[in-house]
Amino acid sequence: MCKVQAKLVAWLDRELSSDEAAAVDRHIKECQECRGRLATYKKVSETFDVYCDAVVTEKTCPPVSRRVAVLASAVVAAVVLFLAFLQKPVGPPPVLTPTVAATSVPVPTLHAARPVPRKTIRRRRVVPPIQERAVEWRPTETAVQIAIPADAMFPPGAMPKGMNFIAELSIAADGSVEQVRLRQ
Amino acid sequence: MSDDSVPLELPLLRLASGPSEVTTLYRELRKPLLRYLVCLGLSSDEAQDVVQDAFLSLQRHLASDGIQDNIRGWLFRVAHNQARNRQKSYHRRFSEPLDGEMDFLADDATPEQRVLDKEKFRRLAAAIRLLTESERECLLLRAGGLRYREIGEILGMAVSTVGDTVERAIKKLAEKCNV
Repeated sequence: MCKVQAKLVAWLDRELSSDEAAAVDRHIKECQECRGRLATYKKVSETFDVYCDAVVTEKTCPPVSRRVAVLASAVVAAVVLFLAFLQKPVGPPPVLTPTVAATSVPVPTLHAARPVPRKTIRRRRVVPPIQERAVEWRPTETAVQIAIPADAMFPPGAMPKGMNFIAELSIAADGSVEQVRLRQ
Repeated sequence: MSDDSVPLELPLLRLASGPSEVTTLYRELRKPLLRYLVCLGLSSDEAQDVVQDAFLSLQRHLASDGIQDNIRGWLFRVAHNQARNRQKSYHRRFSEPLDGEMDFLADDATPEQRVLDKEKFRRLAAAIRLLTESERECLLLRAGGLRYREIGEILGMAVSTVGDTVERAIKKLAEKCNV
């Protein structure tokens, strides 16, 4: 083992006196083993340095926080988009022009005469069902059939078991029940 | 660590006799000090507190006409002692391996290279855990650019002892890490 080996790290750190450093300079030109050791020590020192930086990065800005930050940004962006979507339809009131089917309904004409309400969202929720009802519902047709067990209508034992009745409801244009007919 | 991670306001320092000198010192030495303290095991917040306290101590030191030779070594010594007082298990965290996603690795590194780098750091972390406390401290201060004489002053060791300790630590790491 070379005597110089004990001075290689100090030589790397420039901590040797000029005489000692010159001696090491001369030695490493001739000794391949010491040149290899020097390269290894230098590499270890550099890796240690990078590792220290990595520790600092890890401690001061852990990956979890970075992921949370990205997630929070995504959530904020989604909320902003959602709010923008809510704000967009505030423009012209979409329900003020009554359709042909809706002319028979008295409510839309009242609405058309009113000033534009402040809460347009609320109005949008109220009016469309009325339009829909006026278009789709036919007063003369049977709209609903309800099966009623006989036990629910007669005292126990008055009717044979398993017998049911059908209740046919005719609905008027304003949504009220116009006619009820029971059949077996 | 970003430059904005620590506020630059040090009101008392502005009152010091040489504000520009102290500000220059602060800008120059804040990062190395933080790195040393965090690697010792302090949290980021603790390290920043210690750095602030160290510079406030420097202000008082200069205001009372204290010794102005080797301010860098003086600051590291003060920070080191404050860290010791503050953190009971102050070397514990540094000895923990880095098990994160290694986001600090170069983005352009290939997946194979990233795997190799992660493995290299794991081996190094394991080797660091085997070092003695003084060996670890010597290496950290050396990595901070301090001379053996300064390290000896901070840790209360003779210069020759520092040299022996650093050499022993580097050889241990080289043997265990096989970098």
